[in-house]
Formats: sequence, C-alpha cells, structure tokens
Amino acid sequence: MAEVVLESVTKLYGRKRAVNGVSLTCREGEFLSIFGPTGAGKSTILKMIAGIEPITTGRILFNGRPVNDLPPQQRNVSMAFESYNLYPHLNVYDNIAFPLRAPRWGLKLSHAEERAKVGEIANFLGIGELLERLPQHLSGGQKQRVSLARALVRKPEVYLLDEPIAHLDARLKFSTQSLLKDFAAKYRATIIYVTHDYREALALSDRVAVLRKGQIEQEAVPEDIYYRPVSDFVGRLIGEPPMNLMDGQIVERDGRSCFQAGSSFCLPVPAGLLDSMRACARQENGGLVARLGIRCEYIKLAREKISETSFQLPVYAIVHEAESSVVTFELANVFFYARVRQELGLVDYRVSEKLWLDFDPQHMMFFPKTIELSAKV
Amino acid sequence: MSRVELDKVWKIYPRGNVVGVKDLSFTIQDKEFLAILGPSGGGKSSTLRMLAGLEEISRGEIRFDGQPVNQLGPAERNIALAFESYALYQRLSVYENIAFPLRARKMKKAAVHEKVMSIAELLDLKDLLKKYPSSLAGGQQQRVSLGRAFVRQPNLTLLDEPISHMDQRVRAEIRARIRHLHDEMKNTTVYVTHDQAEAVSLCDRMVILHKAELQQIGTVEEIWSRPANRFVAFFVGEPAMNFLPAKVEGERLTVSSAQGPRRLTLPAAVPAKYSGKELTLGLRPQQLKVHRREPSGDSLPGKLRLIEFQGETTVLTLSVGGESGGEMKAVVAATERFETGQTVWLSAEAKNIHLFDGEEAIFKK
Repeated sequence: MAEVVLESVTKLYGRKRAVNGVSLTCREGEFLSIFGPTGAGKSTILKMIAGIEPITTGRILFNGRPVNDLPPQQRNVSMAFESYNLYPHLNVYDNIAFPLRAPRWGLKLSHAEERAKVGEIANFLGIGELLERLPQHLSGGQKQRVSLARALVRKPEVYLLDEPIAHLDARLKFSTQSLLKDFAAKYRATIIYVTHDYREALALSDRVAVLRKGQIEQEAVPEDIYYRPVSDFVGRLIGEPPMNLMDGQIVERDGRSCFQAGSSFCLPVPAGLLDSMRACARQENGGLVARLGIRCEYIKLAREKISETSFQLPVYAIVHEAESSVVTFELANVFFYARVRQELGLVDYRVSEKLWLDFDPQHMMFFPKTIELSAKV
Repeated sequence: MSRVELDKVWKIYPRGNVVGVKDLSFTIQDKEFLAILGPSGGGKSSTLRMLAGLEEISRGEIRFDGQPVNQLGPAERNIALAFESYALYQRLSVYENIAFPLRARKMKKAAVHEKVMSIAELLDLKDLLKKYPSSLAGGQQQRVSLGRAFVRQPNLTLLDEPISHMDQRVRAEIRARIRHLHDEMKNTTVYVTHDQAEAVSLCDRMVILHKAELQQIGTVEEIWSRPANRFVAFFVGEPAMNFLPAKVEGERLTVSSAQGPRRLTLPAAVPAKYSGKELTLGLRPQQLKVHRREPSGDSLPGKLRLIEFQGETTVLTLSVGGESGGEMKAVVAATERFETGQTVWLSAEAKNIHLFDGEEAIFKK
C-alpha cells in the first residue's frame, strides 16, 4: 500500500475555491479521515486523489511519485461513493467481482479464487445472501454495502471511501463501522475516508483532518480533536450535544477577572486561562467580549450550591439517554447542555426548577469568534 | 388533551390479506408523552394513521376520553400532526403557516395573533414570522412545523419522525425544544420513530412494535432494565445488548470462555425447569465493568480486539472465545486507556444480568 501526500493542493471551479492550499499526508497503513460539513471540499479532495478531478495547482504524490498527470486507472486506487454507482445490469456478485476481472490489474483469478474472494468480503459485510440479486432489488443500505464490498475486494495502493456507510440505519452503521475498523487493522490498509459524521471520524481514524471552506482547520488524532479543538468551529462540529459555546463580557470584580453572560452568570476565570482568554477577546459594544467553550460532561449540576463559583439557572428541558440525562439551559439566547450520568436511576429535576451549575475549570477553554452563535438552526 | 385508548385494534390490508397491526391494546394517558418505536414494517405507521383517522380501523376500537372515534375523520378527531417532511405551505408566510390550524377553526383574529405570538416566542420564531418557508434552513422549517402542531391544544398531537434526519448540531436543540413545548403546553403527545435514541430521549413511556405486534410498553427505565424479550433487549440501547449462550444451575450461571467455563451469580434463582437448558445470557455494554486484572468476584475474560473512541466514551470489542466464540462490546469512559490484544476481565452486577429462553426473558418486571 502507498503513502499519499498532498502538497498545497488547490481546486478552482471557475473563480470558486473548492479546495484551498491543502497539504496532507496519509502514511502507509494509516486510516485518515477528512471530516467537515457539507460543501467543505471533502469529496473534491478525494476525487483529485483518485484522478477523477484534475488538480488546479499543487501536487499529489503516491510513495513519493507525483501522480498529477496519471489517469485514474493508472493510480491503482479503489473507491466507494456515497451514490453507490453500481452497474444496474450486473448482479451483486458480478458487481463485486468487477474490479477483480479488470485486465489492468492482471490478477487472472481462477473461477474458484474469484468466488472465494467475493464470498469472503460479501459475508464480511453481511450481504452474502444477496449475491444473485440485481441492484434494483436492493434497499439503499444493501446497495451501499455492495458498493463498499466492491471497493474492498481488491488490494490497491489506497482505499478512497466517500461516506461509505452514510445511508445505513443507525444499528447497521455502528456494526459496519466496527467491521471497517477491523478490516483496516487486519490488512494494514491505507484508507482515506470522507465523512460528515463525527462519530465515524473519531471511532475509525488514526488521524482526522477537519475541513472548513476548502482549508484544513485542524489535523490531529481523534482524542485531540475532541478534547482540544483549535476553534469554536471544530468544537461545534463534534459531540452530541455539541460543545457548549457562550459569549460573555470580561469584567473586573473584587480584583479578579470574571466572565459574565446574562445577569445571573458571572464566573471568575481561573488564573491559568487568563492569557488565553485575553488573547481571544474582542471589543464589542464598548466592552471586552470572549467566547467560552466547555463540553456538556464537564458541567456539574445540583440542587444545593456546589462551590463558591457555582451559579443558578432554571432548567429549560430534560432529555434522556440510555445511562444519562441531558439538561438544557438557556443563557443570553443560546442553549447549552449539561450531561448527568445516572448511576442511581433517572434524575428527577423539573422544568423551570432552578439548579446550581458548576463549570470544571480544567475543561474550560476560550476561542476567538469564528462562527455565529446566534445563527440559530 | 385527551386520554387515548386503543382496544384490541387490528389493521388488515385486504390486498394480500396483510396484517399491519395485530390485536393492539394500550392507553395513552392525558398529557403523556408516549413514543411508538419499532423497525420499519413493524406497524408504527399503520397505528399512527389509525390514530389520526387517515386509515380505517379493521377491527377493535380507538377511544378519546372514553368516546369511540372509529367513525370520525381527522378533522373531527381534533388532532395536530407534524411530519418528518415539514409539509409547510410554501405560499404562506411563517406567521400564516402557524396560524393556519387556528384560522381553519374560525378563531377570532386577535386570539389567533396572541396564540401565534406566544408559540413563536417559545420556539424563537419571532424574527422569522414574515419569511417564507423556502428561505428557511431545515432546522428553522422544522421549528415552524412544530409551531403549527403545538399552536393549539388538540386532543392529540402526533409527531412522525420529526428530527431523525437532522444533523447532530441541530438535533440536541430540537429535542430540547420539543420536550420543552410538551412540558409547557401539556399536550397529549405521540412520537413515532424507528430511532431508539429519539424515543429514549423524549418520551415518558414507550410502546415497542415489531411484526405488527406489541412487544412491550413501559417507561424507558423499565424497558432498559427489564426488557420483555430478546427483540426489545436488542433494539433499545446502542451499542446493543451482548448475547452469549449459557446454562444455569440454581443461582449459578455458566458461560464458556477461552479460559474455560466461567460462572456468574444471577439476580435470583431460576425455576428448576430451566436447569441444564441452553439459554442466552444478555449483558448491556453500558453496564459492564472492565478490569485490567482478574477481579476477585465473578468475571469473564476476553481479548481486546477493537477500540472505538466516541468522544466522551470508548467502545471496546472483545472476543470471549471458548465454545461460543462470542464477541462482546463494553462501553468505558474515554479517559480509561486500553491496548488492542490486551486481555481484560468483564464483570456485571447481578441485577444487570438478563437471561432469555429462546425469545422470552426469564427475569421480568
């Protein structure tokens, strides 16, 4: 398998920069995810690596060799698209076997060898029973697995997978995700994986590149993407509920710098965070405003006062998860969430009840403002 | 706002004599938030359509506050509906979309205005009232659709998959809003979904339908801790419950592992008729403790095969080996670090052990 390197790759559609100076390395045997919202340029990058889209400027190298001028069939990549692209007149077996028969790869498998390979990958993905069917008789989820099987049946230089499990239902998505991770580990495959689902990106990848408007916003291991997002943009893209973000005034009170949002919430900023807060702050309406981020699991809730820095807010709503509850609050027109683990049964908090909240200073962070919070969904 | 009863309700589609809903009885309490959950083809949509009056009831009776409604059409039943596909009137402004059900009931202009403004306040729609649906983002359209469903107090509010297709940034907010609306307005609400996470997050109680039949009705806690059968046990919860073949002798249960047979203590003695029989042990990944060294009590060893980071938590996949060759998943806090290939031991509290004879659960509520 190959190492894939992108050097300042740019793609222009007319005057629109779909991809803007992206440099990225996917090491041999690495699982790299390209993650971001719709329209960020994820698929365009994948298509340039595959050779389906020409590169406007920059270079793409496989094992140090530039491939810019090579057509797709000479790059030896295997690709699965979100849109399946199955051959409608071929049954599932022939669709999956297709890449094995392409003369270019010179595999020249015997009938029995081909059967074994197709059968193995089809059974692995749970579509072993469907081999005789035509695509038109398959559900969307089944078609997607056939498309994935066709991409995985052969060993290329690199696997390029574009939202390959986006259309599976939740249960099947999780199990197929585990299978993919298994596959990657077993064959030490170089995989570049495009997704807009943060769960897939975190669970599958060795590293994640977060894309924003054609540029890389953050490139890191999944743990860093989750715990140390570089921006409010990344924080908001990851997690369900996403990272809590709130804007507040920086005010001086009793000789301490405090972060104040709304009337009831004034938080003394821990000394270790002062520098980062000041660096991120901006002038707004004659005051200094900063943006605070904290994940929902780091907000403690109680009916009694928790600490000197805790404050009170009324509950907006409570929704449940299997082993936890998410309590929603509204502060200065922005929702934020606190997750409560329920080792001992469900929480009995009520809507409109005032609770004490305590933010874990270890897990608070400040960001420059790069997205609108008030742009309500 | 009504108490809604389904009494031995059947839906039989004459073409092909297909049973859509089989002998279904349950009650939706006044002001309750009830979810109807199940895989597609399980009977959810038929039930929803019969509740709404969009489809005839083949047999049995549906009653609102004790009054049969079988013969009443949708309008006469006084029902509000919100669908997955918004179904907003494209040529009406947001204000008029929300006002529509009120105007259809010939409410006075001043009263309409008051109602629309109060629901717009609740759903943060005030700045959008003059806009048209086509200029709104998906989440905004969904809020308008919810506003229209909750603007009046009908006998029953039916929500059909209103958020399952929305993206994760929006979902948390819409969930909170729906639950807030319900708590404020106290509408009797039925939420139909195939997504167990949605049902769990929002409802007071849920009805689980599969193969046209009622599988279980209960609070989330009841269904989570004592599922009636293997289907329910598997369907609710993500990652799903682990199953392993097992045998029992009194209060002791035996499963096979790569390190030979292991014993677990059950929450209660099992009737003698199950002794020696092939049963299925069920353990929820969320309720397993993972140990790096063999603990002193009961435990099940396994080799760590996959580690999937999920953010706050990590999902581990282990092969237990032994005759069953079984695989187990366990959820741990993301702060706990493990390596693939490592041997770990799983333990569970007795109360979290589930046992099935074929499909049926042995420990019931």
